[in-house]
Amino acid sequence: MVNSYNTKTFRLPPIWQILGLSFILILFSSFLHAAEVEATLDRDTVAVGNGAILTLKVSGARVAKPEIPAVPNLIVQARGQSQQMQMMNGATTISVSYTYVVGANIPGDYEIPAIAFTINGKNILTQPLKLKVLGSAAAQPPAGLSGAPPNNQSTAEETEDTSENRFGFLTVELADNERKHVFVGEIAPVRIRAWLPSDSRAQLRSGIQPEGKAFTLHNVSERPQQTQEMKDGKRYTVLTWFGGVSAAKAGKYPASLSLDANVAVRDTKALKQPRRRMGGPFDDPFFDSVFDQMSVPMIQKDITLQSVNQDIEVRPLPTEGRPAGFTGAVGNFQMENTQIPDSWKTGEPQQITAKIAGSGNFALMKAPDLTPEDTWKTYSAKNEFTAGDEASFSGVKAFQFSAVPRKGGAQNVGLTFSFFDPIAAAYKTLASPLQGIQVAGEDIVDVEPSAAPEVKQPENMAPGLAGQHARSSPVKTLVPLVSRPIFPVMLFSAAGLCGLGGILILLRHRREDPKRKALIAMEFATREALAAAGKCATAKDVPGYFAAARLAIQQRLGALWGQPPQAITMAEIHARVPDDSPVVRFFREADLHEYSRRATDEVLPQWQALLAEALASLTPTAR
Amino acid sequence: MKVFSILLYLVASSLSVLGDELTRANQQFQAKDFNGAVASYQKLLAKEGPSSVVYYNLGNTYQQLKQYGPAIHAYEQARLLTPRDPDLLKNMALARKNAVAREQTGRQPWLDAVLTRLSRNEWSWLVVGASLLTGVVVLAYGLITYPRRVAWVTAGICAFAMAVGSTALYLRRGEAAHGIVLTADANVRLSPFETAEAIATLRPGSVVSLGAKNGSFQYIQIPNNGLNGWIASNDVAAITVENLPPQNFTKIKD
Repeated sequence: MVNSYNTKTFRLPPIWQILGLSFILILFSSFLHAAEVEATLDRDTVAVGNGAILTLKVSGARVAKPEIPAVPNLIVQARGQSQQMQMMNGATTISVSYTYVVGANIPGDYEIPAIAFTINGKNILTQPLKLKVLGSAAAQPPAGLSGAPPNNQSTAEETEDTSENRFGFLTVELADNERKHVFVGEIAPVRIRAWLPSDSRAQLRSGIQPEGKAFTLHNVSERPQQTQEMKDGKRYTVLTWFGGVSAAKAGKYPASLSLDANVAVRDTKALKQPRRRMGGPFDDPFFDSVFDQMSVPMIQKDITLQSVNQDIEVRPLPTEGRPAGFTGAVGNFQMENTQIPDSWKTGEPQQITAKIAGSGNFALMKAPDLTPEDTWKTYSAKNEFTAGDEASFSGVKAFQFSAVPRKGGAQNVGLTFSFFDPIAAAYKTLASPLQGIQVAGEDIVDVEPSAAPEVKQPENMAPGLAGQHARSSPVKTLVPLVSRPIFPVMLFSAAGLCGLGGILILLRHRREDPKRKALIAMEFATREALAAAGKCATAKDVPGYFAAARLAIQQRLGALWGQPPQAITMAEIHARVPDDSPVVRFFREADLHEYSRRATDEVLPQWQALLAEALASLTPTAR
Repeated sequence: MKVFSILLYLVASSLSVLGDELTRANQQFQAKDFNGAVASYQKLLAKEGPSSVVYYNLGNTYQQLKQYGPAIHAYEQARLLTPRDPDLLKNMALARKNAVAREQTGRQPWLDAVLTRLSRNEWSWLVVGASLLTGVVVLAYGLITYPRRVAWVTAGICAFAMAVGSTALYLRRGEAAHGIVLTADANVRLSPFETAEAIATLRPGSVVSLGAKNGSFQYIQIPNNGLNGWIASNDVAAITVENLPPQNFTKIKD
């Protein structure tokens, strides 16, 4: 017989199969993305002994580190590589950047020839680049890396390094790169990035905070994404948060945000101290940084990273074409799952539910309108929002509101919802399919529903704040039981109960002990036998006296030896008890009297004394 | 019977009066009279005693006023009574986010979730209840005969509950001395004097362990941080009044 589990094939649950397939597709899609290579120089002119940053960026493919063709007198120093992964609309792009410092010690015009990459068996060439190397007097400021000459004390780099930006800065940009504006009331997704020098150490001391009053910040993601990126020839560790901004007024406003951080950077002043040149193969300005970085001290500072000079245009919502039912919803929405009862009665309220899904400013969204409006009276809606993403840009808002029909008869009713689509820059109105309903009762002019369910009035709350509670149940104290004096008392009471219970259990065990029970029974039987012997002595019944006395002694012996008293024989007594013991002597006297038939009409006192001595010798204390 | 009816009427009418006062305070809140609502809720607490609902509503009101320190303080007091109220947890998280005051327990998140599932009061009742039940089971077993298996299983469950509850109370023992920073940018000073050097600044709503008082200053320690110093007494408030520290210099126990 084969066990059932041996015959089964292991299968992943469907959800894991879907997730696994999705992961493979995402991974595969990154390789399907068209491969691109790009070579850039951050400047086309440098001074003798300085370097420009050459960046080779390969997107959509994995390649080996490229070889830079040799150019006479041109020095190329590799500075490392970085990798970025970007996911957009389900497509994943991986790009790798190789960075070099390029310069020369001899002035002149240099050309960096096309650099070849082999991708999927094909050779792809970058465009050739030109670099002009000037004499030191005519040089422009060098790139923001360590290729600067040690004695160049008045460069723009130094000016930059002594500014607050050397510790990092913030940038804010709309997440949709194609958009340069937002609309009033729209919660526009933004990308907030903190640029920190890559060789720095930073500790964030606050969350992202808005500085100005023009924009309100919404739902900033809790944990930032971290990448390495180049900007203006400098390498940064970039922390990226996603959130939303909204504005109440039209205009062009700076998107001012701030972030408190403690940042430690290398002291570039110490770095700029000239290193003494000793000659030799490594005595080249391009190698300075390699040695200098090892001993440069760090300086630490509490700073507030701020975004500056980043304006976002806020456009007003157009007045033309604004639907009558528009209540301020801006985004892209769909109506789903409306529920309207089929049978109604004039003047009696019933609940209507509707769900609006999509992305946009759910906070300003109000319930859809019931049409035709003139035949209904509706009440404020309760709503519940279920976020579809971490930043709450997308999701589903469910509305539930009471409606009272004012007109009887058959009607076709539906729900309509209007919003402004910021991408299309136009108003849109959604309408649910019309539903035929039957309303019983007479038409009424003014309906005041006496039995209308209680509808919670909307409260002007901070976004995301749950409402007030209505029923209070006060307690005597906030102090938990563990900190109250009654706590040890209760524990001691419990211990007392346990102790009392334990004593009772012990007593019961003792009461129900079979040995003890047998002992008691033996004592009882012995007492009965002795009482019978006493009666026989009074009645001068000598045989009866000896029979009862013999039984009493046998009871004691039976209890001692653990066997039935009737089973104890004279031979056994002789074998186990010494001959001079009162027990043997009494049994011998009894036998003598029984078998010799001596004529005695009374029980002699010496017999009674011998019986008492025999019984005493068999008590526990005597043993 | 008449006396019972009169007592019932008196209790019902007093509850109705208190309910009216809460409704009135909630109406002030809805009418955006937040300062009035704060006064009403505090009056209600003084009159009625601690109430999770009133503390919660008070926290919401402070949050509307953007006073996140008092808001978190009120929420923490409400959490002592109703630790699993989803509205309370949501609003407290929102207040902490707005105040940029994160709660740092120094424990693993899963352990923290287990420990805070019940309030310290509920853990205490679990321990006491399990202890008393054990006592009753043992006593009953001594008095009457019933299956030994039932006694063992019940006593085993009680022992497990006592062990879990006692462990939770032990791990949360430091909370007895916890306080909340009420004001924005409260300075922690090296010594209890206005002129002493400020060694740190705390966000409103930050949780601190309270130590001894000295004049108008309170010794505090930031849990899981190691930072300690003196803060103005007005800038911080204890969550409960259990284990009040003595009015002299003593080191915080944990």
